[in-house]
This record gives sequence, structure tokens and C-alpha cells, in this order.
Amino acid sequence: MIRRPKHELPIVPTANLVDIAILLIIFYMACSNFLSVTGKLTPPKAPDLYKVEEPLISVSVDQEGTIMLQGHEAANAAEVEAVIGVLLRDKTAEDNKKRMVMFKCDATVKRQVYQPVLDAIVHAGGLILAVGENTEK
Amino acid sequence: MRRKFHMRQLTQDAVPTTSLADMMFLLLIFFIMTTTLARTTGFITDVPMGTKGAQQSASEKSPSVVLHDGKITVNEDQEMTIQQLRNYISGLHLDRKRGDAKVVIISAEGVVPYQMYYETLAMVQNASGVVAIVSDEVEKK
Repeated sequence: MIRRPKHELPIVPTANLVDIAILLIIFYMACSNFLSVTGKLTPPKAPDLYKVEEPLISVSVDQEGTIMLQGHEAANAAEVEAVIGVLLRDKTAEDNKKRMVMFKCDATVKRQVYQPVLDAIVHAGGLILAVGENTEK
Repeated sequence: MRRKFHMRQLTQDAVPTTSLADMMFLLLIFFIMTTTLARTTGFITDVPMGTKGAQQSASEKSPSVVLHDGKITVNEDQEMTIQQLRNYISGLHLDRKRGDAKVVIISAEGVVPYQMYYETLAMVQNASGVVAIVSDEVEKK
């Protein structure tokens, strides 16, 4: 009977694995965007749109015509105007970056729904950042 | 014997990190699944506010686009398709103009889906124009 020498299994060093995982988590945490919009929303499409930085204030109108302001449902455009007015209270007209309000709206929504919201943002002193999807010409 | 075993347990000063990797990978999977790396695209528009009287005087010079029930009418009499409107606006050479000459008045009547409205706004914005929106509220004044 031949005795074979015992081979030790190679050990994979896993000590640094946690460090790599932590680095990846930090990366994803930094890149994540948790500002979600409830309801179905298909953004409009247009060519030559450019990349923009998302501002702190967001208003969205979903397929059903539900107005969401900062992730919470707003009753009507008047409420949007009142809340944005308060949020932009200390912002001067020259401070364009801080006055920006992100407006997301479903492509199929009718004028009677989106127009009062756009008016409300303008009346409250906001600068509209209209979000859409880029298409080729 | 029992005491000796107990002492050995107490002297262990290393923090157990064996399950740390598992937790980290669970978090990692969560973030990978929820992250959207695509950046937001759109355009920024500073819509000027004005009275009806001011708009009328501006409309003498500024081109006006009326969106109504899926149709586009330019300067009150020319009906255009979206492509024709694009050509018309690029032909205005708004980037070479200054002040009020940059203004394009956009109004919507009846049923106008946001897609159509958005495309028109984006068109004027990309041509370096200034959008003036005529809203119902202003029209009533």
C-alpha cells in the first residue's frame, strides 16, 4: 500500500476582502440617489438635453396626475407654491443654483394638470429644471 | 478545570470579524441593486413673468407658438409639424439676438400633452431663446 503525502489545501487570503467591500459600499453610498418618485412616470423625450445636477427641491407629476412635492403628495398647485415659497424664502434672485426646482412630469399628463404646477413654481420664485430623456435627432 | 476554561475565554481580546465580510457583502448587494448611476438630463429655464399688456407689446416682435389639441400654430396663422417648428426656430438664429428679441412666446390651449409642451420648450431653450409662457391665469387678466 502506497501512502500518498498529504497535500495541504491552499489558503485564499480573505483578510483584505472586507476592506474592499467597505470601499465599494462607500462608493455606492456616495453615488446612490434615494429621491424616489412614487407612481408611474415616463419622462418626456427631446434631443440635445444636457446633464444636470439634481437640486434639493423636487416636484413631480405622475401618470395619474398626482402632484408630489419633496416625495410627499401635494393637494394642489397652491400648496406647491406655498411650500416652495417657504423653502426659497431666503434665496435671492441672483442665487440661481439654490432657486432651482426639479420638475418631473409624465409625458402623457394634460395641460390642465402640469400648467398650474409650472405657474406655481415660477410664482414662488423657482427656476425650473425640466427633466426629460435624451433622444437622438 | 472549569475555572481554567473560563479564564481562557476572558483573555480573548480579538474582536470577532468573521461575520463582518458577510454583512458587508449584503450591504454591497443592496447598494448595487438600488443605485442608479445614470445622471439626470433636462434643461433649466427661467420663465419670465409679465402682465398681459407687456406680453401684447412683446408679441409685436416676438414669435409666438400656440399648441392646441396636438397642433402647432406659429405667429397665429402658420400651422407646422414639430420638425417644421424645429427648423423655423433654428432659422430665427436666436443665439445672435439680444434682450427681448430672444423671447419666444409659448401658449397652450385645449388638450396638450406634456411631451409636446416639453419638446417645444426644449427646442427654444436649445436655440438659446428665452421662453415666455402665457398661462390661463395671465390670459384672464
